[in-house]
Amino acid sequence: MNKQFLTILACMIAFSSHAYAQQDETDHSQHEHEQQNDHSGLSDQEMDHSAHEHDHSDHDKVDHSAHEHDHSDQDEMDHSAHDHSTQDHSGHDMDHSAHDHGGHDHMGDHSGMTHGDDHMMDAPGDHSELHGDGDGHAGHHGDHHHHHDGHIMDHEGTHIMGQNFDKLPSSCTSISEEIEITVRAGTKYARKFPGTAFAFDQQEWHVKPCSKITWHFVNEDNIRHQFMMHGLPRYLYPLGMFHLENTGPRKVSGTMIVPAADETYLVHCDIAQHMEKGMKAQLVVGKGGEDIPSIPGLTPYIINDKYEAEDLPQVSDEDNGKKKDSFTKQVTDFYDENVPLSGMSLIGLLFGIVCAPLFIRMIALGKRKTKEENV
Amino acid sequence: MPIRNLMAVLAACCIVLPVNVLASLKLPETIKVNPAALDAEPICDPKISPSWRKAQVIEGVKIEASEICSPDNPHLIAAVVKGTNNISMATLMETDLSPDTIIKTDDIDGDGDPDRIVIKLEVIELNGRTPDFEGVIPTFDIAPGIQPGAWVFAPKTSGMSTENFESIRANSLLRLPSPVIRVEVGDIVQIVLENTHYFPHTIHLHGVDHPFSHHEYGSGKHGNDGVTQTSEINLMPGERRVYEFQPRQAGTMFYHCHVQTHTHLAMGLAGMIIVEENRPNNWLQTLNVGGGHVRHPSVAVKEQYDMEYDLHYHAMDKELTSIIQKYNDPRLIAREMNRRYDLTDSTEDYYTLNGLSFPYTLRESMIIVEPDQKIKLRMLNSGGEFMAVHTHGHKATITHYDGVEQNPAAQITRDVFDMAPAQRLDLLLNTANDGLHSYGAGAWLFHDHREKGITTDGMSEGGSMSMIAYKSYLDDIGLPKVAHGIDLSVYFTKEYYERRLPIWQDLDEAGSLGAPGVRSGMDAETQETVTNLIIGFIIGLLIYIVFARKQHIKGAAAVIVSKLKGSKGSKTNE
Repeated sequence: MNKQFLTILACMIAFSSHAYAQQDETDHSQHEHEQQNDHSGLSDQEMDHSAHEHDHSDHDKVDHSAHEHDHSDQDEMDHSAHDHSTQDHSGHDMDHSAHDHGGHDHMGDHSGMTHGDDHMMDAPGDHSELHGDGDGHAGHHGDHHHHHDGHIMDHEGTHIMGQNFDKLPSSCTSISEEIEITVRAGTKYARKFPGTAFAFDQQEWHVKPCSKITWHFVNEDNIRHQFMMHGLPRYLYPLGMFHLENTGPRKVSGTMIVPAADETYLVHCDIAQHMEKGMKAQLVVGKGGEDIPSIPGLTPYIINDKYEAEDLPQVSDEDNGKKKDSFTKQVTDFYDENVPLSGMSLIGLLFGIVCAPLFIRMIALGKRKTKEENV
Repeated sequence: MPIRNLMAVLAACCIVLPVNVLASLKLPETIKVNPAALDAEPICDPKISPSWRKAQVIEGVKIEASEICSPDNPHLIAAVVKGTNNISMATLMETDLSPDTIIKTDDIDGDGDPDRIVIKLEVIELNGRTPDFEGVIPTFDIAPGIQPGAWVFAPKTSGMSTENFESIRANSLLRLPSPVIRVEVGDIVQIVLENTHYFPHTIHLHGVDHPFSHHEYGSGKHGNDGVTQTSEINLMPGERRVYEFQPRQAGTMFYHCHVQTHTHLAMGLAGMIIVEENRPNNWLQTLNVGGGHVRHPSVAVKEQYDMEYDLHYHAMDKELTSIIQKYNDPRLIAREMNRRYDLTDSTEDYYTLNGLSFPYTLRESMIIVEPDQKIKLRMLNSGGEFMAVHTHGHKATITHYDGVEQNPAAQITRDVFDMAPAQRLDLLLNTANDGLHSYGAGAWLFHDHREKGITTDGMSEGGSMSMIAYKSYLDDIGLPKVAHGIDLSVYFTKEYYERRLPIWQDLDEAGSLGAPGVRSGMDAETQETVTNLIIGFIIGLLIYIVFARKQHIKGAAAVIVSKLKGSKGSKTNE
C-alpha cells in the first residue's frame, strides 16, 4: 500500500509543478516600498495643505532616485503646468506654487520626441510650458480645460476622470490613511513577462479600506496609456470608474477614496490590446476579493495559448559539430510533443510496464481479500 | 419461454420492414424560417442622430448635407477641418479625438489657410483576441456578424477603445478602413505615427511627393519612406516617429505599413491620402474617417464638381485575419503571420468598400446624386488582386490614373473600371440623362464585376457592392426605396451570412424553393442500414435458436420425419 501511495504522490507533484509553470514568479515584496509615504497622520478631511505639499515633493524625490537607474534619459517628465492643471478645477484649494517642482528638469517630453521640429507636434501656445517656463500660462490654461462630472481634460489630452478628494463612501466613517502611489507604464515593464507587450511597473497594490489614494501615473512611452480602475461605487464615481490618461510621456495625478469593503479592483489600460497584452493590474483593498484574471505574473489566463516546440536552427559546436548536432536533435526530438510516440511517451510506457505487475498484484490482492471475506 | 419471446421479436421485425418502405414514398415539406426567429439589426444605426444628416455650420465650418443612413459626425468634420487645436472643447468632446490629433498652424504663404499640418495616427487592433473570454474585442462588424481581425491606422483618440464600459463594440473612430488623409500642395505635413500596437509598423507614402529621408533624421537611422529593409528601422511598440513631407504635386495617393507588407497591408494598415491643389482659404477636411462622402470638399474640387466621394476597396483573407483571434502571445502571432501563413496559397474572402461589406455599404457608402450633377469619385484598390468596378446605369470618365491627370483629349469614358492592386482612379460621374453618361434616375448598383467581389466569404449578396442612388429613389432614412416588395431587412441579420436563411423561401406563396425539412420516416440511407441490420439480426436470432435448441429441433425434425414417414407408411398401409 505504501508503494501505491508513493506513485500517486509522484503523479500529483508532477501535475502541480506543471500548473505552477504557467505562472511566472510573483514578487509581492515590490509592492511595499511604494506605500512608504503614509499620510495617516492627516486623516482629517480638512488637510493641512502645506504639509501635504511638502510630503508630496519629498515623495517625488524618493521616488525618482529609486527609479533613476532604469530611465535615466526619460525620467521626470512631469512639468509644473501639468500638475497645476490637474489640480486647477478640483475645487480643492491648493497652493499651486508648491506643486511647481522647480528643481525638476522639463526634458521628459522632448527627449521622448524625436527632433527639433517638436514645436509643430504640440498645440500652439504651449511651447513656453513645455520648456519649463512656469509663469505666464496660468491664464492660457483656463479656456482649454473641460470640466464636468469630475472629468478634466487639458489641451494635451491628459485626462482625470472620477477624481474624489473628500466624498466619503457610505461604508466609511473616516479616511483610514492617505497614501500616494506612483504607477509607471511602458513597454519596458513588459520585458520581464515573456509574451506581453505593455505593462505597469507593478501588478498589484494593497491598501487599507477607506484609504485616500493619490495616484501618480507616469507614462514612459511615446504613445498614449491609461490607468483605468473599474467597479467603484457609482454614486461617487461616474460609471464606477477612476481614470487617468496620458497622451504621451508625461505624469498625471489624481486622488480617490476607496470604500470599506474588502474588494479587488481591476486596473488596466483600455487602448485596444494593451490590457490583453499585459497592461493589467489589481488594487487590493483590505483582504481583497476575488483575484482579477490574466494579470501577468500574478494570476492565470482564463484562455491559454497552446505552445509547441519548433525545429529552430541552433548553433553547433565547432569541434565535433555533426555529432553534437545529431545529439541535440535527439534530445529535442525526445521532448517534441508533436512526434506521435515521443520520448516522454516512452518513459510513460516504461513506467507502465514496471508498474503493471504491481497493479496486477494489487488487484489480485483485492480479489483475494473479497474472496476471503466471502468465504 | 425464451424461445417464445424470441419468436415475438422476429415477428415484430418482419412487420417493421414493410412500414419503412411505405414511409419513403413521401418527400418532406418545405420549412419556412419565421422572420421573428432572426436576430434582426436595425437597418440604420439608432445611435446616430438624424440631425447629423443636415447641412450645417459648426465652428465656422460649412458641412454639406448627407442623406445616407449613417452620415459622418459633423462635429468630427469641423474638428478635422479646423484642427483639434483651433476648436472649442465642447466640439472636441463630441468627437472622441485627442486634443493633439490634428494641429494646424502657420499660414506660411499668406493665403488664408494653415500650412503646417500635424496628423497623429495610432495603430489599433480590431476584433482581436483576449485571454479573458471567448470572443473578440473591440468588435467591428464589416457585415452582420462578420468580425475579421484587423489592424488600422486610426486618428489618435481619447478615452476608451470601446463605446463604453458595458460595450465591447469599438468606438466610432476605431474602424476600417484607415482614414482618408487630405493635405494641400505646399503644406508642411507631419504624420506622427504613435505605435500603440504590439508589433512594429511604419508608414510608406505611396505616390505622395516625399523625400527619401528628411533632414531631421539623417544618417539613415530613421527614413521617411517606411521600408524597413532599406530605408528605416522598425517603429517598435510604444515608440513614435514623424514622417515629414511638403508635396509639390496633387493627386489621389496611398499610404500603408511597409513592415511585413504582405500581411500588414492586407490586415488593414492601408488608406487613401489625397493631395489637393493649393487654393486660397482652402481649409481641408484633413481626415475622412470611414471614407465616402466628403462633406467639406476642397476649393479646387468645388470649382469643378458638385460632390466628392472617397471609395477605398479592400480585400481580406480569413485565414490571415483569424490569426490574431487564435493566439494572444505576440510571439505566436508573429510566428503564424511571418513564417507559417503562405500568401501564395491564400484566397481573399472579404471584400469591402470603405471598410464595410454589403449591406452595411448601403448605410454609408452610397453615392447619392441628383440629375445633371458632376461628382468626383476617388477610388483605391488596396486588395491583392485586380478588380473591375462596374457602374449600373452610368458611364463615367477616368480623369486621373494614380493621381496624375490624363490628357483631357484622351480621357476614356466607360462602365468597367479595372484597378490593379495599389492603383488609384479619379472618375467624373456625370448624371446628365443623355443615354451615355446616365440612363436616368434610379437606384443603380455599382459593384466589383469579379463575381466573388459581391460575396462575403462566398455568400452573396455581400462584398463591396453599393449603389448610385438618385434622391428621388431614397426613403426618409436614406435607404433606396426598393421596388416590388423586396425586403432589405433580411440582409441585416447574422443568420443570412451564417448561411442559415434559405434566401428563396419567400419567392412565392408555396415556398417552392425554400428549405426542405427532413423525411417523416428515415432517409433512404439510414433505412437501408436499418433494414440490413434487422435482416442480420433475424438471421442471428435464427442461428441462435438453431444452436440452442439443437436437441429439440433434432427431436422435432425426427418427429416430423417419422410423422411424415408414418403418414406415408400409414398411407401405404392404407
